Amino acid sequence: MYDILAQAEQVSQISGSIQGALGCLGAAIGVGIVGMKGVEAVGRNPDAGGKILVQSILGMALAEAVAFYSLFL
Amino acid sequence: MIINVLFVLKPLAPVIVFLFSSLQLFAAGDGVHLKAEQFFNIGVIPVTNSMVTSWFVSLLIIVIIKILVGSPQLVPSKGQIIVESIVSGLRGMLEPIVGKKVFFPSFWLLSGLFIFIIIQNWSGLLPGVGTIGYGNVIDNHFSVSKPLIRPGNADINMTLALALVANLFWVYFIVKYAGFKAIIKDWFGNKADKKEVHFLMFAALSLIFIAVGFIEVLSIVFRPVSLTFRLFGNVFGGESLLHSMFYLAPQVNWILPVPFYFMEVLIGLVQALVFMLLVAVYIGLICNHEEGDNH
Repeated sequence: MYDILAQAEQVSQISGSIQGALGCLGAAIGVGIVGMKGVEAVGRNPDAGGKILVQSILGMALAEAVAFYSLFL
Repeated sequence: MIINVLFVLKPLAPVIVFLFSSLQLFAAGDGVHLKAEQFFNIGVIPVTNSMVTSWFVSLLIIVIIKILVGSPQLVPSKGQIIVESIVSGLRGMLEPIVGKKVFFPSFWLLSGLFIFIIIQNWSGLLPGVGTIGYGNVIDNHFSVSKPLIRPGNADINMTLALALVANLFWVYFIVKYAGFKAIIKDWFGNKADKKEVHFLMFAALSLIFIAVGFIEVLSIVFRPVSLTFRLFGNVFGGESLLHSMFYLAPQVNWILPVPFYFMEVLIGLVQALVFMLLVAVYIGLICNHEEGDNH
């Protein structure tokens, strides 16, 4: 697998890091799952929309933090 | 109807022109550096542009709160009503998390973190941040390579300092208000019910809980790191995003960052909220059990 990545870097000048890519992929999927469950919860109980919003935003911020570990650490 | 819209926009027009013209000042550079640029040294300690910005914004916060409240009266003035509404909003959010006993002693830390981080983040969106500074001319545009103003939290030293201070006082609060015994019991203690479980199983569970306690200590040691990188990544990433959005499409380059400014307003608010709520949760996990609420 490393051979393919090295050749791709040479041929197409893609020089992004695989570490950042995988981290951001995980974070994006995590945020999407939080959003999906939040929307589902509002559908089941529309009156609790405000509280669910606060919880969803908290969950999304925590899930997105992992992307920053992989980008900067 | 068009005339109504124009009447609404008329007072806003100078503001909009000012914002767009400050975007025009911006020219191609080498992006935002990870390390904040240094200005001078105080003895051994280097002073960076984000440090100076954070000093000015802190001074602004102190002066504004002092002007709003002055000395608190029993019959509140208008400024005092504003500050009281912020305080009561924060109280409604925090008291269920940290519990009544430790709410008042810890409120200075939590509300201080929130106000500080939110105003620092939002002041990094004002015109002039990142566009005024030292640089050189690159093909007919002035290119800023060392900005004078940079958001305070876009420097990892600032967010590290905030996280370390928050964790230091977390240790102080849980030692003072819960005590060592409650801490050890919460991390390493056997949470099974002795009457319902066979004795051998109880002993085995004790060993398992002790092992789990070590894993928990490891995750607690990681907390300052996570707080640091979450806030730094969001604010630095936002600054970098706004800079690079400008160069994406040369024809409409001044309009492209505008929706991202709104996103940065939301991110600034959310990151301050998340920082404060996380520190509150860390305190409340140990201190709130003592209130005897349902496990």
